[in-house]
Amino acid sequence: MNNENYNNLILSINKLSKVFPGGIIALENVNLDLYSGEVVSILGENGSGKSTLVKILYGVYTPDSGEIKLRINNTMLKVHFSTPLDAMRHGIVLVNQVPQLIDRLSIAENLAITLSTLKIKSSVFSNIEYVSKMLRETAELLGVKIDPGEKVYNLTYTQKQFIELIRAIMVDAKIIMLDEALTYLPPIEKKKWYDLLKTLKNSGKTIVLITHKIHEALELSDRIVVLRKGRIVGVVNGNEATADRVRQLMFGESFNGNELIKQNNSNVNQHLEHEIVIENLYVSDDHGREILRDVNLNVKKGEIAGVVGVSGSGQRELIESIVGLRKPVRGKIKVAEVDVIHQGIKALRRSGVGFITDHPLKYCISSDNSIVENIALSCCPSGLILNWDLIEKKTREIIEEYNIQAESVNSPVKTLSGGNLMKVIIGRELERAKRVFIAYNPTRALDELSTVRVLNKLKSKARDEKVSVLIASDDADEVLSICDTLYVLSSGRLIGPFNPRNTPRERIEELMVT
Amino acid sequence: MRIVILRRKKEIKYNAIISSCISVLFGIAIYLFILWLFNVNLVDAIVILGGSFISPTIVKDFLIICLIGCGLIISFKASIWNIGGEGQFYVAMIPGIILTLIVFNPEESNAGIPSVLVIILVIITGALAGAAWATIAGVLKAYMRVDEVPVTLILNYIAYYLLNYLVSGPLKGKKTYGYLRTDEIPGLYRLNIVLSTPQATSSFEGALYGFMTQVAYYLAVLIAVILVFTFIMWMFKYTKLGLYIKILGANPDYLLTSGANVKILTLCAMALSGSIVGLTGSLYLLVEWGRIPYGIQSHTPGYGYQAILASWLSMLDYRFLPVSAYLVAGLRNTGLSIKIAGLGDTEQSLIILGSFLLAYSITRFISDYEVKFEW
Ligand SMILES: Nc1ncnc2c1ncn2[C@@H]1O[C@H](COP(=O)(O)OP(=O)(O)O)[C@@H](O)[C@H]1O
Ligand SMILES: [Mg+2]
Repeated sequence: MNNENYNNLILSINKLSKVFPGGIIALENVNLDLYSGEVVSILGENGSGKSTLVKILYGVYTPDSGEIKLRINNTMLKVHFSTPLDAMRHGIVLVNQVPQLIDRLSIAENLAITLSTLKIKSSVFSNIEYVSKMLRETAELLGVKIDPGEKVYNLTYTQKQFIELIRAIMVDAKIIMLDEALTYLPPIEKKKWYDLLKTLKNSGKTIVLITHKIHEALELSDRIVVLRKGRIVGVVNGNEATADRVRQLMFGESFNGNELIKQNNSNVNQHLEHEIVIENLYVSDDHGREILRDVNLNVKKGEIAGVVGVSGSGQRELIESIVGLRKPVRGKIKVAEVDVIHQGIKALRRSGVGFITDHPLKYCISSDNSIVENIALSCCPSGLILNWDLIEKKTREIIEEYNIQAESVNSPVKTLSGGNLMKVIIGRELERAKRVFIAYNPTRALDELSTVRVLNKLKSKARDEKVSVLIASDDADEVLSICDTLYVLSSGRLIGPFNPRNTPRERIEELMVT
Repeated sequence: MRIVILRRKKEIKYNAIISSCISVLFGIAIYLFILWLFNVNLVDAIVILGGSFISPTIVKDFLIICLIGCGLIISFKASIWNIGGEGQFYVAMIPGIILTLIVFNPEESNAGIPSVLVIILVIITGALAGAAWATIAGVLKAYMRVDEVPVTLILNYIAYYLLNYLVSGPLKGKKTYGYLRTDEIPGLYRLNIVLSTPQATSSFEGALYGFMTQVAYYLAVLIAVILVFTFIMWMFKYTKLGLYIKILGANPDYLLTSGANVKILTLCAMALSGSIVGLTGSLYLLVEWGRIPYGIQSHTPGYGYQAILASWLSMLDYRFLPVSAYLVAGLRNTGLSIKIAGLGDTEQSLIILGSFLLAYSITRFISDYEVKFEW
């Protein structure tokens, strides 16, 4: 080994394996070296073991075998972390998809807790003043202004993720791992983050980036590591990597023939009946603030409508009101001939409406129950007795159609990887959607191949079965690629409709931020 | 050295049986050790302990705890903490007394109704009364978000005092020689079967006859246990209601978005749970008590609470319930025998309970997790 290389080596993983209860092999003989001052992306389809790998490094899971060596005082020593705190103490931090902050506390208080439990100069860190000062300085270094006294619940998702990153810097992390942490960020914010990560890298930190967006990995990485079914199937240097090469490694041959259907949807002009009618809708958010004002929206039979906006612009509240989970201040909502405000979810479901809200783990699935039980809850025909043969058959079809990696139909949902779990939800709700399908960010947890499959499925549902589709999203890409009509949600108002085919993307992005 | 704890990848075979046996032995060992520290004669203690677990008297407690446990687990699975087994158990006796002693009393007005019908009516109304009592807490929880734990607990005491009031007033017996209690239920409505066995010639025969007598005496309860067990297993496996109840316990928000009525389901779970406890209460009246005494709170064997313990020990798994019901019944018996034998007081039974719970938790843990030592 090259000597200079060795000196930069900071962490070395040797023959790491992890099998989960039920015999699912999440990682098999994984070898990986990390050097300081590099960005390493880990790519792989849903369920390939990416999260498991970083969770082991972060002390969340214990590996079955294999060893991890870390540079401590200039020598590589064998380590094992039994808790995230332990990992943090050794300079390894994981930033998740979901911010791990305590809502009721201020930013500074949150950080003071971490820092004082870590017992780094505890006397100093329990001093809020001091922490606030440091926070401000660190944020400024990264080119952002924050108010350390602000309560966390007042922050947007982006800001919370940013605080997570600052936390990593403040505990002096040498290795910062981001597990799909950028996935939910609005595209505009993402650009800023890319620069941030590059700055951190140049200051000698190691960044491990987990993503399923290939272009993101290409943009940032010095090396791209591709995982497939728990094994490393390839490592590509950043300057040699191309999207096709990486895609090939990730999916093998299966990607061929899975392109997004481009064909125009003729339904939009043919049919006149409105399946979703929203008039003068006013909605407040969880804190009672008005977040939607005078929203009007119609979706025809067989039409795919998209609503896009920076996250936190009210997409969540809009979808929740349309499906009857949130009581609007006033207005009228009619979906599949159901007066949602007065008749409620049950009536909606009965007339063939499938939907996916924000917080899918809370509202769309029961993680302790098995896949088949979760599907039984919505797919069983009326009657008191469950027809398990039928439900199991349907479950197998969904597993097959969406290529869900699960040990069996009876595996508890909580053993699925994030993407596979989402596929269970999508499969079930699309099955349910005989007339209308409503969703918020339906594909954001999915890998590229699954995304294409789901979007194509949506298109064919609209085209062939005349299902009306309403997708709200924080990600313009998700919506632009499939919708027939586009709306932008900004500062509480719904702007549109636009025709996505002749509206320039810049115009849309501009509207999103004004 | 460091200790690594991992969740087992494969379930151990015969897990239930092995882990309960180990925990019994282990619990006994801990208990004897404590007794030894206090200079108690271990031989005496072992005899009492062993005796309590194999004595025929365990049959009754086992069956009753099993049956109530069946009911409680329904609500527990829905994450509704029905602590009100006691109240539902006793309230269910009221219609039984009214039907057998007032409405269909054979001595006063024999309308020629077959006693079987009356008995069935007693059991059904008992189940309904238990269901209604439990549903009170269900309504408060579903529609007013009042926590069910204090409510069901308070309802236990209300039930005690309601019975005391009825027994000392409206339902006070006429042939009780001034005692405060109800009259005895007429023989033709009683469900206990008295078996006469031949004189035993050996202690084995004695025990055998003892068990036969007990099983015969409580045959009605045994049949109910079998029927209810089968029904509930079937309900959870094959009916939509069973699935709804499980999901209600795991994630009510998802149940809501799937279009189910969470409030009504909360009521259903409570009612179902209470009805089985109520059924047990009416059987207890017909088989065991034959009348309601005054001062329930001092007469109660506390089955409502012991069944909670048994359900929790079973980790809400019906397959484990008989095992944990047996354990709890055995412990209950030991506590009584120890007190009778003068080896100690009530605290002693708490020590046994403690050592068994400890042993049981440890074995349950070891059967779910593997512990490795790494150097
Ligand atoms: N706690 C768990 N219990 C059982 N299986 C799990 C658990 N966590 C993950 N798995 C399984 O391990 C595999 C890898 O999951 P994960 O690392 O989350 O994938 P991803 O690459 O999408 O992050 C998946 O098949 C998943 O079902
Ligand atoms: Mg993941």
